[in-house]
Amino acid sequence: MPSKLEKELYRAAVLTFEELGLMLPTAELDESQRRAGAEVTVTVAFDGPFSGRLTVTICGDVTGELAANMLGDVEAPGSEHCDDALGEIGNVICGNTLPRVAGKGALFSIRSPRVTRPGEGGADDGEPPVATAQVGFDNGRADLAFFIDSVAEYEPEERR
Amino acid sequence: MALNVLVVDDSAVMRKMIVRTLRLSGLPLGDVFEAGNGQEGLDALRDHWVDLALVDINMPVMNGEEMIDRVRQNPETADLTVIVVSTDSSETRIEMLQKKGAGFVHKPFTPEGLRETISHLTGVTHAEQAGEGALPGSSPDF
Repeated sequence: MPSKLEKELYRAAVLTFEELGLMLPTAELDESQRRAGAEVTVTVAFDGPFSGRLTVTICGDVTGELAANMLGDVEAPGSEHCDDALGEIGNVICGNTLPRVAGKGALFSIRSPRVTRPGEGGADDGEPPVATAQVGFDNGRADLAFFIDSVAEYEPEERR
Repeated sequence: MALNVLVVDDSAVMRKMIVRTLRLSGLPLGDVFEAGNGQEGLDALRDHWVDLALVDINMPVMNGEEMIDRVRQNPETADLTVIVVSTDSSETRIEMLQKKGAGFVHKPFTPEGLRETISHLTGVTHAEQAGEGALPGSSPDF
């Protein structure tokens, strides 16, 4: 059963993909979506009452459509715009998740997103994520993982 | 009154989305300038007359809060209408921004939300003009 944090992470991801990326999540993952390989990962680190990072890994052929939707372009966007679009998606998911978890008054500093590809060094080395979520699309899926590295004033609900 | 607008965001994609929303909003637009961080935003304000600045918070080189502080400290730009367009929706942050005289629009934003906030803070509404290509009262595709 998903934790509160996982529900909030999923909700923020769906909202962001729908409203910013014009991507409609599928209700469930089918076999082709599950088997889609990782293409690119965006990592967004944050500091505040607790510090950590959010990773969004895009699996399958999703990023081009996402960037084209955000840009409003018919032509296929270049890799620079694809990375930029994915970075903004990660940034907005992170920014929308944090106040739902830490409270509306909590103040966080969110760092610039970092985009990596398989083999370039992942951000999920070390401690496992405290929450994960998956969002399916027609051509693949997004895997989300929320990591907490240090806690100043906060302990996630599932660890209490 | 046509608004000269400055869009400050480190994401080129987000800048393009904001500009596209502005152009579809029905608001009377003059020149639209873009900057990738707060320092570039201040440079643009020095070189151009701007009526409205839409500013992100988390940016490299100079963040949005520092840029707003510098804007308010400069007599030539102290009264500039500033709206923060950010994913950071902490009530504490919004209160801090309001004390600096800035409005706030949360990402992901709707075209209607952006237009209403701009109209509220500038007093300019789409009804004052009927520019070509404007779609007053309708929503673009995001």
